[in-house]
Amino acid sequence: MADTPLIVCTNLTHTYPNGVTALKDINLTISRGEYVAFVGQNGSGKTTLVKHFNGLLKPTSGSVKVFGEETKDKKVSLLSRKVGYVFQNPDDMLFSSSVEEEIGFGPKMLGMKEEAIKIKVNEILKELGLMQMRETHPFALSLGDRQRLAVACALSLDPEIFVFDEPTTGQDYFGGESIMSLVDQLHAKGQTVVIITHDMPLVAEHAKRVAVMHQGQIALDGTPQEVFSQSDLLRKLSLRSPQVTMLAKNLGLKDKTILNIPQMYQWLQKDYLGAPQSARGGRQ
Amino acid sequence: MTTPEPVVELEPQKPITRNWKSKGRILGIPISLMAIWAALYIASSAIPALPVPGMAGMITINAIMTAISGMILGPAAAIANAAGGIVAMMLFPYGFSAGPLGFLTVTMGGLVAGLLFADKWVLAAIAEILIIGSWFVNPKSWQPGMWLIPLPYSAIALLVIIIPPVRKWMRTSILTLHKVWMWPAVFLMCTVGHAAEFLTTNTMVNWMFNLSYQYWVPTMPYWVMVDTVVIAVSTAVGVGVLIGLRKARLPQYADNLEK
Amino acid sequence: MMNISQSTLNSPLQKLDGRTKLIALMVIFILALVFSNPFVVVGLLALVLITWWIARIPWSLIKDIMQFFLVIAIIILVVQVFFYPGKINLFRISDPIKFIGFSGYITLDGIEFGIAMVLRLVVIMIVAPLMVLTTPLPDFMLALVKLKVPYRFAFIMTTALSLLPSIQTHSGIIQQAQLCRGVTDFEGKNAWLKIKASAGLLVPLILGTFRDSQTLDVAMSSRAFGAPVKRTFLLESHFRAADIILLVFSFLLLAGGIYLRVRGFGIL
Repeated sequence: MADTPLIVCTNLTHTYPNGVTALKDINLTISRGEYVAFVGQNGSGKTTLVKHFNGLLKPTSGSVKVFGEETKDKKVSLLSRKVGYVFQNPDDMLFSSSVEEEIGFGPKMLGMKEEAIKIKVNEILKELGLMQMRETHPFALSLGDRQRLAVACALSLDPEIFVFDEPTTGQDYFGGESIMSLVDQLHAKGQTVVIITHDMPLVAEHAKRVAVMHQGQIALDGTPQEVFSQSDLLRKLSLRSPQVTMLAKNLGLKDKTILNIPQMYQWLQKDYLGAPQSARGGRQ
Repeated sequence: MTTPEPVVELEPQKPITRNWKSKGRILGIPISLMAIWAALYIASSAIPALPVPGMAGMITINAIMTAISGMILGPAAAIANAAGGIVAMMLFPYGFSAGPLGFLTVTMGGLVAGLLFADKWVLAAIAEILIIGSWFVNPKSWQPGMWLIPLPYSAIALLVIIIPPVRKWMRTSILTLHKVWMWPAVFLMCTVGHAAEFLTTNTMVNWMFNLSYQYWVPTMPYWVMVDTVVIAVSTAVGVGVLIGLRKARLPQYADNLEK
Repeated sequence: MMNISQSTLNSPLQKLDGRTKLIALMVIFILALVFSNPFVVVGLLALVLITWWIARIPWSLIKDIMQFFLVIAIIILVVQVFFYPGKINLFRISDPIKFIGFSGYITLDGIEFGIAMVLRLVVIMIVAPLMVLTTPLPDFMLALVKLKVPYRFAFIMTTALSLLPSIQTHSGIIQQAQLCRGVTDFEGKNAWLKIKASAGLLVPLILGTFRDSQTLDVAMSSRAFGAPVKRTFLLESHFRAADIILLVFSFLLLAGGIYLRVRGFGIL
């Protein structure tokens, strides 16, 4: 069940009407319950790729199958019930006059009954801490709350897969942490999560799989440990491992990859500072 | 020993006596906002909406923008609409049947509604009377049935402007964002804006192409239907925008009225 | 949307001052309105088409523009052919139908007048692109300012045009976002629903771009917009010999046209 492929891209190529080929022959499988981060330079094709998952873009050649069905002939509004997409700018998703109405919009489009919509909306308001703002106009909310509302709107359609396009852009540290904690909660409940981000520490901290895109192709695909250990290759792809990873490497750590500060602290305490001066690598 | 550099006397700086800020606004609206409105107007001109069996090829979404402009920008809507209209006419000519002077239609739409919203009802009434009058200046407008063409919406617009209780109720309902009355009030404001635009268009087209009652009178029911659709859709958009601007504390003409 | 292409930019028309082209455009427009004899309007159209050819604008653009006005052109022609109060009867269709003002005859003057009106429509619709496609925007704005159009008004137009691509992109993203929220109307075939959906784009689009206006305001102020001094311009334009010739020609054409019109020439 855990390995059931939900999204399968086979030889996916996408060329925009202006002639730019944004994706070249992508082969990718995302299985149920995965937590995948797509990273890469601007223009590497990350957003173009994930927009194929809910049918916003259709392949020029090759195929994209979501839950076993080709997306080519499927309407976006139907695929959105399976693949929830949270846009980078939450304002792009909001158009109702209250938080309640905004969340209820999706279920209304699905044809849910009035009572069922009320229950669903209350559930989501509670889950995302928006209960007190239920009658507030979406544009009167703070950026963080609007981002939560955007997630709530995607959640209201009960998708099995969530796509977050740069979820922490424009957020301060606490705002970003709050959003990522929400994303982690969704993943913990069994949802499949896909995020696009430039934030390497975020990827190291949260994602279980990293796909590095470069010039329309997937250059690296593996766990964060596997990907971030290849700092030389990442540099060639105009990316950098998280600073803490690079610091550990510079201090001489060769046999494993440090991804976050708690790991760094542990290694420093246990292995690095405990070792004799001569055994410590890197610059002193 | 070094000698000090001679002190250079600089020209005395002329005191800046004018208020810098005043140049950044026209009729109370920041120029940046007017530029953004003009850009929105141009973008909406690219979206053809209703096919029309005759005039202009298409009615575009910019008709909605004209109808709501007066409530959002006040009298400055005339300038913003004119700027957007000139550029839109060149880029997307299918929305403008009056050729190079087509931008005047949307200017009038913004002007009359904007003046009314700014409570300069006398000026709004004069503008509306001039628009209706210009229809009747054309000798062809005295042909059978041609007097019907400004009906119903131009007549409604004039009545709304000159009857004090209606005018006051309408402005109050919009400014207070009244839950119920705001809808009919915005409907009437959109009527004022749209009526000014469409009658100016009809007047110009009539002068330019000498169409007579045999065209105007039979097509009148269709025109009334099109106008009703435009005004109805504009009402929904207008209510959404006005509430959103207030709740999000974004700039709009009403901010000047509250001061 | 009409775009300047390299070929039109390399045409002789591009070298002319924007003011010259604007004045010539208005002269053609006025003359098209002043005359109602189809032979005179054809002459005017021929002048416009020759200019079109000199400007190296593709002929297909005329078709692209006029397709939107095909129905009105037919309506104008039919109304004039049947209802113009002509004097030269060609052939009888029916008995007079008084209440619709039909004399029962198709008249020669009616046909001529109808053709003149259709040609007038063509001239009016294609004369503006001559300006647009041969004049880069900065030149157009400079021309307006030199013609004493208030600078702030020209600034609103230039800024609006530069904001247009980002607004169109934003509008596309909002449409995608609404599709992701289950809005089906964009994808259907029902025209009314599509209109509703397009109108539904406007609220978030307007609110989102109004937010940006505050940043734009600050950016403008920080670059001395509105400084109480007489501003200078980076770009300058001056009349050359070709401009003088075309301006003289335009004024002569206008003066001559109005004189002839007053004398009764060129009308039916």
